[in-house]
Amino acid sequence: MTPGKIYMDNCVTSPLDPEVLQAMLPYFSEKFWMPGTFISTGETTNNALDEFRQIIAKTLNADPAELHFTSGGTVANNIAIKGLANAHAASGKHAIVSLVDYPDLLTNAAWLEKQGFEVSYLEPDEQGVVSAEKLAAAIRPDTTLFLTTIVNHVVGTIQPMAEYKKVLENAGHKIYWHADAGQAYGKMHLDVKDLGVDSLSVSAHKIHGPQGIGALFVKKGTRMAQLIHGVSRIGSVQPGGVSIALIAGFAKAAEINFADLDATISQLRGLSDYLLERLEAEIPEIELNGPRHEGRISHNINISIAYIEGEAITMMLDMKGITVATGSACASQGLKPSYVLMAMGKNHVQSHGSMKFTLSRYNTREEIDTAVKALAEITAQLRERSPLYQATHSQEK
Amino acid sequence: MQYSQKVLDHFMNPHNVGKMENPDAVATEGSPACGDQVTIYLKIDEGSKKIDDISFLSYGCASNIATASIITDLAKGKTLDEAKNITWQDAMEALDGLPPVKVHCSVLAADTLQTAISNYEIEHGLKDVPNFGKETILEELKKIIYPQVGEDIVTLKMVKYVGFDNGEVLIDLNIMSFDEWRDNVAEEIREHLSKYPEVKNIQINFP
Repeated sequence: MTPGKIYMDNCVTSPLDPEVLQAMLPYFSEKFWMPGTFISTGETTNNALDEFRQIIAKTLNADPAELHFTSGGTVANNIAIKGLANAHAASGKHAIVSLVDYPDLLTNAAWLEKQGFEVSYLEPDEQGVVSAEKLAAAIRPDTTLFLTTIVNHVVGTIQPMAEYKKVLENAGHKIYWHADAGQAYGKMHLDVKDLGVDSLSVSAHKIHGPQGIGALFVKKGTRMAQLIHGVSRIGSVQPGGVSIALIAGFAKAAEINFADLDATISQLRGLSDYLLERLEAEIPEIELNGPRHEGRISHNINISIAYIEGEAITMMLDMKGITVATGSACASQGLKPSYVLMAMGKNHVQSHGSMKFTLSRYNTREEIDTAVKALAEITAQLRERSPLYQATHSQEK
Repeated sequence: MQYSQKVLDHFMNPHNVGKMENPDAVATEGSPACGDQVTIYLKIDEGSKKIDDISFLSYGCASNIATASIITDLAKGKTLDEAKNITWQDAMEALDGLPPVKVHCSVLAADTLQTAISNYEIEHGLKDVPNFGKETILEELKKIIYPQVGEDIVTLKMVKYVGFDNGEVLIDLNIMSFDEWRDNVAEEIREHLSKYPEVKNIQINFP
């Protein structure tokens, strides 16, 4: 068995595109220089950086000056949230997040509370949607921060960004808005001018770029307190040395993914639709978690399989070289069920039996056929051993 | 820590798995809400009191299935008195160990076996229905594993006080508020004790 031969956990990280590796190599070896001025080595890197920044800024319709490289999405989220909070706490210490946000946002919300902020946690509906009405109701005169995860990392629900924008515009005072676009980037159209956010984080390794590099969009004129201090080489929110090779890889990955974004999206959508269709045809008594088609990101399918537990399923799939994820408490470090599914009103059993597939352009229909066939066999085998299944199905035999 | 090869073998090809028709004793422990449930069936020779056959069903993770499998191996062919001495530590040992966070899974299977034996003995007039009291609570607390180190909370001296009065259970635990496992432990205590009809209310206090 080859580990991860059929890899369907791309929301965590995705395989590097071979072209991306080629694009990075020269910058690890002969063109390794730090950016600088007046000498050819530094200028060469400067010019390359300008080009890479333009490529990536274009994917978000940002101005290149608004794009800052960071060493990943989590660093970008921390710089933005803590930077905005520190800069604007004097205008009010109330922040709004949702119960289903990405852990980066929720752990930062906990930090905000320690800094004396009050935090409102918005509840999602049963599809994982956090409505604009809930946001409107939570806004207070001292609200200074609103944090959003554009696409939910567990069930792929797309949040109503346009409606949020209207609510925030009508709030009567400025509320700084930071968005995590980790799962959205490269899988749907994102235009920062249109979205209206003040800051937005993305990361390269979710779109077949290298691990360890991300970017933070900061809208021109947005005051953000500096969180990390050090030598400023490229005027970034994250000072210190830059990895020109990783940035080169990021740019190449973006170039490939965004060359025809509609085609990328429709390929992923086609694969996800096919996966769901096969799952529903082959495995009885499963349910889709999150919205169907509309309102769901193109690469995510999350189902709950009744009567059996997710850690056992993922391990059996793993032994066949198939990598997927589960929301089961038994598979988590803290022995807790998925907080996203629980907030959506699912019960423990639905969370324990949940399976998350996140696809990439490298997945094929043949792989999906193989994975679904394996999952159907495993499900039947585990159900045969399950007291819950036996209790409800023994009369039928 | 990863699973041992023994755990993987028993998980992938469990022994004695499946529902038993006309068992002499049966017990189910755990609950779907807590993520694991085990049922054990026994066929017992009335004369020799030997476990002639044993099988299990499991709703749970890999370690849950593997420990249920090994427990049935350990119990098969033993007399009831011999089988009463099988502990979760025996199951752990026979599996070449479990990751600390998974030790609690081995307790459930061992527990289910003991309940099945007890059910048989009560049904056949071999013992009385035990009186519920402080001792019962203490026995249950010995089955609660602190996930970080994989040992029970009594051995780890985390239980400071146990009281039982008129259906009210009172437990003082020496687990700090910043301990990430505090809620897990409390939840598991409630799960273990709430199955007793004598228990009307459970109060757990922390420092």
